[in-house]
Formats: sequence, structure tokens, C-alpha cells
Amino acid sequence: MITMKIIKLLISLSITVLLIWALDKSWVVGGSRIPPLGKFLDPFHGFWQNIESKNHKLPEKLEIPGLKEPVTIVFDSIMIPHVFAQHDEDLYLAQGYVTALHRLWQMEFQTHAAAGRISELIGAGKDDAVLNYDRGQRRLGMVFAAENAFKRMEGDPLANRVANRYADGINAYIQSLSYKDLPLEYKLMDYAPEEWTPLKSALLLRSMAQTLNMGDKDMQMTNALALFGKEMVDLLYPDLEPMGDPIVDRTDRWDFEPVKTEDTPPALPAELIAISGLTTPDPTIGSNNWAVSGSKTKTGSPILCNDPHLNITLPSIWYGIQLQSPTVNVMGVSLPGAPGVIIGFNDSIAWGVTNAQRDLVDWYKIKFENDRKEKYELDGSWKESRKVVEKFSVRDQVTRYDTVIYTHWGPVPYDENYRADNNRKHYAFRWIAHDESEELLTFYKLNRAKNHNDYMKALDHYSSPAQNFVFASVTGDIAMRIQGKFPVRRKGEGKFVLDGSKSSSGPQAYIPFDQNVMDKNPERGFVSSANQYPADATYPYYVNAVSYEAYRNRRINNILRESNSVTVTDMMNLQNDNYSIKAEEVLPFLLDRLDVTGFNDVEKYSYETLKAWDYVYHADSESASYFEAWWTNLFPLIWDEMRNDEVSLSYPTAWNTINLMKTKPDLEFYDIKETPEKETLTNLIRASFSKGIAEIEQWKKEKGVTEKVNWADFKDTYIEHLTRTEALGFHVQHGGHANAVNAASRKHGPSWRMVVSVEKDGPKAFATYPGGQSGNPGSLYYSSMLDHWSNGKYFNLIFLQKAEDAGNKANFTTTLKPK
Amino acid sequence: MFFPWWSVAPAAALVGFLYKSKANFLAGFIAIALLWLIMALVIDMNAAVPLAEKIAKILLVNSKVLLLLITATLGGLVGGFGALTGSLLRGK
Repeated sequence: MITMKIIKLLISLSITVLLIWALDKSWVVGGSRIPPLGKFLDPFHGFWQNIESKNHKLPEKLEIPGLKEPVTIVFDSIMIPHVFAQHDEDLYLAQGYVTALHRLWQMEFQTHAAAGRISELIGAGKDDAVLNYDRGQRRLGMVFAAENAFKRMEGDPLANRVANRYADGINAYIQSLSYKDLPLEYKLMDYAPEEWTPLKSALLLRSMAQTLNMGDKDMQMTNALALFGKEMVDLLYPDLEPMGDPIVDRTDRWDFEPVKTEDTPPALPAELIAISGLTTPDPTIGSNNWAVSGSKTKTGSPILCNDPHLNITLPSIWYGIQLQSPTVNVMGVSLPGAPGVIIGFNDSIAWGVTNAQRDLVDWYKIKFENDRKEKYELDGSWKESRKVVEKFSVRDQVTRYDTVIYTHWGPVPYDENYRADNNRKHYAFRWIAHDESEELLTFYKLNRAKNHNDYMKALDHYSSPAQNFVFASVTGDIAMRIQGKFPVRRKGEGKFVLDGSKSSSGPQAYIPFDQNVMDKNPERGFVSSANQYPADATYPYYVNAVSYEAYRNRRINNILRESNSVTVTDMMNLQNDNYSIKAEEVLPFLLDRLDVTGFNDVEKYSYETLKAWDYVYHADSESASYFEAWWTNLFPLIWDEMRNDEVSLSYPTAWNTINLMKTKPDLEFYDIKETPEKETLTNLIRASFSKGIAEIEQWKKEKGVTEKVNWADFKDTYIEHLTRTEALGFHVQHGGHANAVNAASRKHGPSWRMVVSVEKDGPKAFATYPGGQSGNPGSLYYSSMLDHWSNGKYFNLIFLQKAEDAGNKANFTTTLKPK
Repeated sequence: MFFPWWSVAPAAALVGFLYKSKANFLAGFIAIALLWLIMALVIDMNAAVPLAEKIAKILLVNSKVLLLLITATLGGLVGGFGALTGSLLRGK
């Protein structure tokens, strides 16, 4: 009997322990990881704890190690923290703390992605897809770039202090967390946060640079040169498209002596290149900014506007914040992971950024001595290369290693071990962001700038990613400066790959910062930029980019030129403007050339609808959907030659395509290579029209749409969670188009919309973004601004002089006290 | 104080030991299942956003009710076996 008892006991005990063990572990089932169900579903510790109540508030007092004095944080109705500190050191610590409080998971995930460490979190992925992504990041030199930026940061006492205090704040938050306090994604993916370091802030900034400035088509252009010849390349891919409205219009008024370099043309490799560049920039990534002088505004004060266009994801890319200490009082948006305010305003000035289109990537053909790749040819002798062994601590696997060869130009991403398909040639990758830089100082100084002079001095610290900085001050100045570290290029240089065996192939000099394109208080009464070309051909330096914007810039300038007595509401309307100059310029031509014989009923209907279109991408426009389906079928039909499996090539720009359709009706490219017949442009126009209409009918059937095909439904703007988890994202009804000022496409668009009237009695600022301050999907504030954004509405930004001024605008206040 | 999620097991074991009955497993199961269910319901009732529904979708059970039932069941199982083990430690 006793033995039976013991057996029963042992069985029961074993089951209990086994059950707990099984429910404490995350299991991988069919390729997906299930969170540890016991931990995850326990209402006292698991995801239930991430569900916030409607009146969720932080404690009134929090003890934070590392603070010198108490810091007051006032949270407003959209959960923007207004941080009041008595020292800069406390200020940045508090910024780190509160940003981590709302966005810790995002900061860490984004920097892991930049550093090629995602396989550490989620494993190697199907067919090693995730591991290969990570390898690509390391081979592009992302960590290399961050380390160089970090070295510079460490060397500057101010930047070093700021970055370290910010890190201290984040770590203070991390250390306060037990499992139940972890952000939801950690619980879902079953891992815990690691310590934050200033190197990660450098990684975060490089990650932004990768999104904005790593685009290139040098290999594609080299292939085009070999396949089509120089004349055709100049026709298809002109350096400068003559549609007008450059960022700065200063024809022949460049009053400086440009740096000259020798006129030796760079040597080009002869072979075609099978593999494409690692990144093709998304043409929908861009931004708008402009500033209107008081001479054109109703109040007489300048108005500054900025809407950066990025991949719209959740948690939101930007984090709103106000920072005040005895040296600064600034408000705007920050990037979780880096200290300071990146776009915003203070008592005296406002500023914003758009991406400066410039080719800042070069590929250098490397000739190695032998298969060991320890030496490569340079100027007639052999130079030693450097081998870096990258380590990948892949989850649930043994550690993997990848050896990357570095030349003095940069890393060699492709070789027989990585994306070796058809490619035996080695090219070194040089990216401007591999160099040291001082962005932190730029934003530190911009945050404290009081006038144009301060703005100029702040930008002198800025080298990458190159941006068009717009500026307005309370004294009435407006300005634009295209700021970055730009190599002095000989004509055509940088457009193709370069010969890495000659040091003369490298940049001989950089454009002195005071010779970058810039403008101040122009006669026309406004400055603006929308990723268009920086200046006309009289600018004494050769400028080249993957592509330039051709439409948003002209629309913005057309409106601003005609406007007088401008109000902030006018500016909000302009940011939400859905008019497309591209549609205006191409649709009449297409309708005119369209062969209207043999239309079916649907084609007849859409033809009439298109004829009546006002070129505005309203949310409920049907014509917009038909036009979009037509154009997206026409464009690849024309350029079928560019979709080549053997050799990578680029599409020409939309603007140039339309230009060629009108001026070169007999271009050989209209013929579709695969078909035996010789097609003409007219054939393509009709074929793509029918295809597009059919596509929409198919779409309607699949979605069960029986009425009109609304543009907002067809476009389907989708705010996606960083992990691509469908349940944590949102589909929104919103108009706009990549070519319209309101550049909202499916997954890209205005990630922040800001309008600031820079007035003497205090800035009046209005803003919104598609998401919310909290990164917690269980919080009201995860998406509390989304509706406003979708409806083109703005929140009043509350800019406080003292914490006490908040009054009833304060949601609640928390004081951080020294521990 | 650090109480991991599975501390309901030793707690139930203690109770099972002290209050041994004819239905130890069932008592432990019901006690913890109810505890977890009620706590989850209270949280969900005050929720600012329907996160439970989203988690249900992510875990492929697609219904919040099912998620609540699974929550309760898992807690109940751990509590039940804990109580049973505790009761078996006792003599008679």
C-alpha cells in the first residue's frame, strides 16, 4: 500500500513538473514559435498584464538611479511627455527613460535589424532567409559604419555625455522590469531585453541612413552602358530632367570658387554584371518640407511645414517629446534610440528635413591576387585586405560564422559564400555613412539654435544621411540648405561602377560645406524641397542621384507661388493635397492615343470615367483606381527589356518615360521583346488599358465589391506592425498617392505631418502621425492619432514654458526622483 | 518579491496537503481555473483596446472566449496537479 502511495505521488509530481516545464517553454510548431503558454496566458504575469485600462496612468513618483535632481514629466492627452529637467545630464537620462518606457521593444528590434542580429531572436528562418538578411547587413558594413560613428561620438565629450546619459535612462528602465512588465512582443517572441549602449544609438542613426541614403543603381547603369551604348543611356537616364523647380533656383549666381579635380575619365569594367545591387531604393520614400516667409502669411510670421515620408509601421517611427532644461526648450519628434529632437521647433526657430537625393554609394571592382583574397591590386602593387569574421548567435542553432573581406574602399559584400549566383567578380562597397560623423551634435545644436547663424553652425557638423534642411526663425528668416558630405565628382563619375585598382577612382575631394546648395530669404517668399534635383546645370559640381522627384515639388511650388495671406489651415490643406501632376501630364495623351474600338462594357465605362477625372486621388475616386491600374500595367510593358534575369537593369523614371512617349514615338523599347510581332506605343497603350481594367474586375470579384472601386479600398493603405503580424496592424481609408503632395501609398506615406507658425509670442504648432505614442498594442495610445491622420486633421501641440502651465491640458504628471 | 507564474502549483500543493479531501485534483483545478478566469475577465472588462481578441487571432484560436477558456484550463491543470501532489504527500 505504501509503495502504491509513493508511485501515485511520484506520478503526480512528475506530471506537475512536466506540465510546468512544457508550459514554460516556447515551442516551434510548423516553423512558427508559440510563446510559453503558461507564462504567456497567466493573467498575473502574461499578456493580460499588457492590457491597459482606459485611464491608465504612470505612478506619481518613480525612483531612477543616475539622476542628480528630480525631473518632472507632464503627459498630455496624446501621451506626449513634456520633460522638465534641471540639468542637461538629467534631461537626456529622462528622455532615455521615458522613450524606453513607451518604445523599448521597437528600439531594440530596429537596432538588431540594423546590426544583422534578427536571427538571434527568431532563428535562421525558412531556407535561412533571416540569417541571410543578417549576413547582408553585416556585409554592407552596417556595424562597421556604426562603430565608426561611435568612435567619433566617444571622442567628443559633449556627444559622449549625451549618448551615455540617454543610455543610462534606457537601462534604468530595463533594470526595473520583471517578466510581467515586459512589452508584449518580448512575451510573444520569448526573449528579454539586453543592455543599451551608445553604440546602439549610432546603429539606430545608421539604420535611418540605410533607409534614406543607401540607394544606388551603379551596377544597373554599367550594364545599360554596355548593352545600349552611351547615347541611349543619356536618353533613358539623363542626369538632369528639365522640368523645372529645383530645390534652389540660383541660375548662374554661385559666388564661390569650386574645388577642381583632374579631368581624367574614370575607367569602367567591361563585363556585364549579373547581380543587382543589394538595395533598390523604394521610389515612394521621400518627403516634403517648405517654409513661407512672413511677407506671404496672414499673421506676418513665417510658417514652416514638414512631412517626412517613410515606411509607415507600428510602433510609430517617430516619438513626440518636449525637452526643457536651463539650456534648451524644444519640442517635436525624436527617433527612439537617439537623444534629442530631430524635427521640431523651439522659442525662436523651427526646422525640418527631407531626403537629399544624391548618389552616395560607389562600387569598386577588386582584383584579388588569388583565391585566398589576402591581397588586392592597387596602383600596380598588392595591398593587404582585412578579414572580419562575423559571428551569428542563431537562436536554437550552433553559432554560424561568415568571413567578410574589407578593402580600404569598404567591404566586399558578394563573393562565392554569399549570393554567388552567376557572379564571380568582387566589388567593394563604399557608402558615405561608413565614414565618421557627428549627427548627434547637429541635433543638439539645432535644438538650441536661436537664429540663422546657429542653424548654419549646427549643420556644419552634419555629414550623413544627406538631408534638405528647411528653416524659419521668429525674426522672419527662412532658409534651405542641402547638407551632407558630398564627394567632388567628375562628370559621369559615380553613375557607373569604378575601377578599384586605381586610387584615382576614389573621391579626390569633398564639396566644402559652404559650397553646398543653399538659399536664404529668396525673393519668391518661400523655400521648399520634395526630393527634386537640387539646382540647375549652372551649379559648378556634377550631381547625380538614382532618381529625382518630378511632381510633388512642382505642385507645392505652384500653390505657394499663387498663395498670399497664407494661414496654417492652408498649409495643412497643402500637406493633404491629393492632386497628381503626373496624371495631368500623361492621361490626356494616353486617352488621345487610346484605340477605342472593340471596348467591352466595363472598358467603355472606365473610359468615360477616366475622361471626367480631375486628377485628384480622393479616397472615393473611381477614376484614380482605373488610372492607377492602367499606368502600372503600361510602364512595365514599355520597359520589358529591363526585366532581365541575366543582367540587372533599371527602369527609367516615370517623368522621363512620359517625356519619351511624347517626343520619341518610335523608340525601339515599345516593342515587347518576347513577342514575334513588333508592337508600337499605341499597341501598348491599348493592351495595358484592357489589362488594367481586367485587373480591377478581378480585384472586385475577389473582394466582393459590387459598387464602384474606391481608390482608398484599391490602394489599401496599411499600417503594419514591425513583425508583420496582421492582428497588430491597421487598414485605413485614406486618399493620396506617391506623386501627390499627400504621398500616402500602400505602406509608405507621411510618417509625421507638422505645421509651425513661428510667432513672436510663442510657436503655434499643429501635428499628427499615423499611430500613437505608446508602442504597446494593449494601450489606448498605440493608435490614438491614427483617425486624425486618416482624416487630414491635426492636434495642437502644447509647447510649455513651465510644467505648471499645463493646467487642464495635462493628462497626468510623473516626477522622476534620484534613487 | 519574485513569484513566477507557476507558483500556483506549490500554493495548491500546500492547500492539498493541509486540506486533503476526496476530490483533490478537482478542487485545485477549479480554484486556479476560476482565479485565472476572473482575473483575466476583470482586466478585459476594463480594457482600453481589444488586445485579447488580437492575441486570440495571433494564437490561431480566433475567439476571445476560447482564449479565456484556454487560460482558465491551463491554470486549472497546473493547480489541479499541484493540489493532487500535495495531497499525496500526506499520510491518510
